[in-house]
Amino acid sequence: MSALVEIQDVKKSFGSNEVLKGVSIAVEPHEVLVVIGASGSGKSTLLKCINFLETYDEGRIVFDGKLVGYKENDQGRDIAPESETREIRKNIGMVFQNFNLFPHKSVLENVIEGPVQVKGVTKSEAIEYADELLKKVGLADKRDARPSTLSGGQQQRAAIARSLAMRPKLMLFDEPTSALDPELVGEVLATIRGLAEEGMTMIIVTHEMAFARDVADRVIFMDDGIVAEEASPEEIFTNPKAQRTQDFLARVLNQRKVLP
Amino acid sequence: MGYEWQFSVLYQYWPIFVRGAITTLEITLLSALLALVIGLPAGVGKEARMWPIRCVCSVYIEVIRGTPALVQIVWIYYCLPIILGVQLSGKTTMIVALGLHAGAYVAEIFRAGIASVDKGQFAAAKSIGMGYWQSLRRIILPQAVKTMIPPFINEFATLLKLTTLGSAIAVYELLHESNNLIASIYRPLEVYTFLAVVFFMITYPFIYMSLRLERRLKRGE
Ligand SMILES: Nc1ncnc2c1ncn2[C@@H]1O[C@H](COP(=O)(O)OP(=O)(O)OP(=O)(O)O)[C@@H](O)[C@H]1O
Ligand SMILES: [Mg+2]
Repeated sequence: MSALVEIQDVKKSFGSNEVLKGVSIAVEPHEVLVVIGASGSGKSTLLKCINFLETYDEGRIVFDGKLVGYKENDQGRDIAPESETREIRKNIGMVFQNFNLFPHKSVLENVIEGPVQVKGVTKSEAIEYADELLKKVGLADKRDARPSTLSGGQQQRAAIARSLAMRPKLMLFDEPTSALDPELVGEVLATIRGLAEEGMTMIIVTHEMAFARDVADRVIFMDDGIVAEEASPEEIFTNPKAQRTQDFLARVLNQRKVLP
Repeated sequence: MGYEWQFSVLYQYWPIFVRGAITTLEITLLSALLALVIGLPAGVGKEARMWPIRCVCSVYIEVIRGTPALVQIVWIYYCLPIILGVQLSGKTTMIVALGLHAGAYVAEIFRAGIASVDKGQFAAAKSIGMGYWQSLRRIILPQAVKTMIPPFINEFATLLKLTTLGSAIAVYELLHESNNLIASIYRPLEVYTFLAVVFFMITYPFIYMSLRLERRLKRGE
């Protein structure tokens, strides 16, 4: 089986701050990869490199057989034309910590924006699928509401529906529940778990360790720009090898007891 | 010594003021349109990733803001023909010069408006495959427009008043019409006072609208 995403020795600096120091990860189709790690370890940056919201300096990211963001030539490589990067992005959904719904549009308009404006799907077709998705994430009754009138959990579920509307092959989640009140975390995690059960390929950055253990096929622990440990959820949570993983888990498991 | 005001003598000359006001509004509207067309790319370009674009836009904005509008007008009127061999009519000169002039200020309004929208909105728009201009048009500008409208209206009112500079190159806008009228009826006090009133009547509604909107938006936040 060939990987859907292949990250090969990727390096990335902001000025003199090297944030990714050679990260290699492969994600198989239908796999759920959970990324954990301390604040500032480069998790968000890594996710943004995968759909080229951030450039990367060295290494390669291959999504669905295509190099992300660059065109290679004899001299090295250049930034790929925007149209090619957009083509890749159409197939990668991204869910943000702060939802980033479009506030001037209703929930339904948020969900059909991509299909209609980017993919050129007819409006009626887009609405039909949007209604299906909104039902799936439990927001059928909110389809005409403005995002600002929704709870955080509802906003995040709407954002998930917006991503799914593009029929992506891969979903990226960057701390999807970190901005939520504890009582709203469960509904969002349940939605994500539903996607996992349907076989969606996902990379999820989260601090919800119980959820990670439950939903992940594989867990990666990032520390200071490298993958410090990579293992099955059982292994990493019961028997972490690296000292840094042990320290990190001891710290977060003590202070966070939110169960999905 | 008391001056005997005689506004009634102006009454018969009202067509002159109407004619002048039409020219003034025409120059204002067309140059405002030009300013919008120039301002958006210039404002966006000032933050562009490619440095030559950034450079051109910054130089344009700073040169315009650093020189008086009157100098820009006479430069286009007198220097452009010598350099390029094209002589623009007075009115066209005014439209082009004021369009370029206001464009620099409008660029700043666009830039600030776009910057006022949460960066996450761009990220979200890009993540569903939108291009830069598409995100701007569909996602960013509709949100930025709220903050941009009051300064736009202000800029429009400024533009209206700047049209009087056209008299320097003999464009028949309000001030120039007034000067001509004075030359024939020798009533400068009445004419200039009335001119001020006319300008105030045209300009103030815009200023008032901008104030109202600004207050409403503040309350809305
Ligand atoms: N746009 C940027 N410009 C400069 N530095 C940045 C930028 N984005 C991130 N960084 C830096 O890169 C490092 C890694 O950031 P990143 O957001 O990837 O970490 P993270 O693992 O997602 O952390 P958190 O758990 O807090 O979200 C941090 O030191 C951060 O300050
Ligand atoms: Mg992060």
